[in-house]
Amino acid sequence: MIVAENVEKRFGDALVLKRVNLRVEPGEVVTILGASGSGKSTLIRCINGLEALSGGKITVDGHDVSTKAGLVAARRASATVFQLFNLYPHMTALGNITLAPIEVLKLPKAEAEARARALLDKVGLGAHAGAYPQQLSGGQRQRVGICRALAMQPRYLLLDEVTSALDPEMTGDVLRILAELADDGTTMVFVTHEIEFARHISSRIVFLEQGELIVDLPTAQFFAEDGGLAVPRIRQFLSKMKKD
Amino acid sequence: MRFWRVIEPHIGFLLQGFALTIVACLLAIVGAVLLGALTASMRSSGNRWVRGTANAYGDVFRNVPFLVQLFFFFYGLPELGIYIGAFETGVIAMSIAGGAFVSDVILSGILTVDTGVIDAAKVSGLSRIKIFTRIVLPIALRVSVRPMGSILINLVLTSSILSTITVNELTGAAKIVAATTFKPFEVYAVLLVLYASLTTLLSFAISAIHRRLNRFMMGG
Amino acid sequence: MRYADFTPYDIVLLLQGLGVTLALFVGTTLIGLAIGLALAVAHHYRVPGCRPVIVLVTEALKNSPVLVQLFLVFFGIPAFLHIRMSPVEAATLTISLNTAAFAFVVFRSGIESIDRDQIEAAQVFGLSRSQILRLIIAPQAAAFSVGPLVGILVNQLQVTSLISVIGVFDLTKIGNILNLRTLQPFIVWAVIGLIYYLAAKTLAHAGGRIEAALRKSVKWGGI
Ligand SMILES: Nc1ncnc2c1ncn2[C@@H]1O[C@H](COP(=O)(O)OP(=O)(O)OP(=O)(O)O)[C@@H](O)[C@H]1O
Ligand SMILES: [Mg+2]
Repeated sequence: MIVAENVEKRFGDALVLKRVNLRVEPGEVVTILGASGSGKSTLIRCINGLEALSGGKITVDGHDVSTKAGLVAARRASATVFQLFNLYPHMTALGNITLAPIEVLKLPKAEAEARARALLDKVGLGAHAGAYPQQLSGGQRQRVGICRALAMQPRYLLLDEVTSALDPEMTGDVLRILAELADDGTTMVFVTHEIEFARHISSRIVFLEQGELIVDLPTAQFFAEDGGLAVPRIRQFLSKMKKD
Repeated sequence: MRFWRVIEPHIGFLLQGFALTIVACLLAIVGAVLLGALTASMRSSGNRWVRGTANAYGDVFRNVPFLVQLFFFFYGLPELGIYIGAFETGVIAMSIAGGAFVSDVILSGILTVDTGVIDAAKVSGLSRIKIFTRIVLPIALRVSVRPMGSILINLVLTSSILSTITVNELTGAAKIVAATTFKPFEVYAVLLVLYASLTTLLSFAISAIHRRLNRFMMGG
Repeated sequence: MRYADFTPYDIVLLLQGLGVTLALFVGTTLIGLAIGLALAVAHHYRVPGCRPVIVLVTEALKNSPVLVQLFLVFFGIPAFLHIRMSPVEAATLTISLNTAAFAFVVFRSGIESIDRDQIEAAQVFGLSRSQILRLIIAPQAAAFSVGPLVGILVNQLQVTSLISVIGVFDLTKIGNILNLRTLQPFIVWAVIGLIYYLAAKTLAHAGGRIEAALRKSVKWGGI
């Protein structure tokens, strides 16, 4: 379980997250919605320890991310997929995927590679194991990014706008893979602007407004007239998203 | 022709000197890269004492003539009770001087590494040391091939100075040949052309390595 | 006592050595920059037959050890041409040519980096070729070139230490003398190193100021 309690984050004078509370149970798919600059990425980066908290507490399966040992354990439990892929440019797809399993999980090389190849097959990149990131399209790179995260067999998958750097066709490829993962019961915390997709795969949706988490509802209720849509700010946000 | 007639009887001896030059330069570039990588990582450290020490090393060894550095070690080390040969002293001095330049190159290579890539490595649970040795350094080294190549070429040129501490590398050997043949012009002219060809060949090789290593790298 | 201690007179010795080093450095710098500039101009105006020779010679000078060049000039040329050459003459000739080779490259790219459009515009204004060179190319090339030139000169200052090997009594040679006499290599070479270090730092600092001033004036005075 991921638990955020009264999380605060400042950058200089700006308070970017304000007393945010969030719980993610195993098996859930939680989508974080919110306008640009509302703090979605920052929240994800607090959960995976890339940003230090200014206040409050985050635990992943009980491991406090603000302690050294806790962060190591928390990072073992979760994996992140990034908007701009962030693949290691000097390694092949296979190298990208096997690095952490070999170095962190101490898997034998052969086993790590077998696992990586199975994942690549699953996302339709079986033939590209030896390709360098520079030789792959954006959508292919992001699928490698997903494989790299999955190779760690994380209990939680953190995804920050993983399709927003892709064109529509490639977005479809990546979303299909994520939908399959959701069906398999992978726990995900998901930042996206793909509202319809979020509606389809999420069990819960939370809404961030200028660093405050103002709504946290099961998906059906979030899109109900007497639920999330009753909040003017959310109605406005959703109608603007539809127009885009 | 007359140059060849002067050189020919001594070609074996000169080749020995040439081999010694090559060995000295190879050892020194390895030493310089190790030292330079260490210094570069110290210079990107958060601790200001660590950073200051590394910066001072780079600054001093780049602003003092190599000949003076070489004499410092050659005459100084025995004072400390360290008795090593002139060749070893020369290689150490070249490594230390080269390391000061290499650290610059690697540091600017390190700064080109995308922070997002480092973030990805961090969240995957890699230790700081692993991130440095498996991600940051390999990327930095790839973009550093060219400037590193000019440092190697400079080391080749610098290695001739080892002749002043009795190392019979190429220049040292040539000195002996010039003295025994009484034909210094022919000997040194050939030597100059030899060095120039060697360094020119090296720079072609470096360009080729650069292209090969950066085939698949962004912007390379 | 096996060795002679340092004496106050050693300070005078050091200053003399520094004087020789600096004099030779300044002399060879002036000669070298002048030759380098002349080569760059000849190269720019495609003086017939000049280009390949200039490029070949400067490349050979840049890609071979200065020590070997010194030996060639000091031992080789007198033996070959049956002339006499003093260590100072050999040192001056060698270091000047060496500086010229490096300066040539800087000046050449300085000239090349100036926009062709500007030259054409100036021709429209009716300026002659030599006016264009003097009024437009020279000041801008200078501003572009100062940074890299300072780097070269800091390096050449250190290269001058090699002239001690052919017997010029420069700072490094004084170091050799003191080293042999006192048998205190750590102190001697640390002091010699420190003097070179301070000289290099002073040079780099001065160069930085000149560069800043020149860039400013070019910005204001550009056509
Ligand atoms: N490293 C940083 N330093 C200073 N301010 C930052 C930093 N990172 C984020 N911010 C600020 O924090 C706020 C929240 O940023 P964040 O990236 O979390 O927004 P977001 O909801 O992910 O937006 P988007 O939808 O555009 O990705 C913004 O105002 C941003 O300018
Ligand atoms: Mg974001």
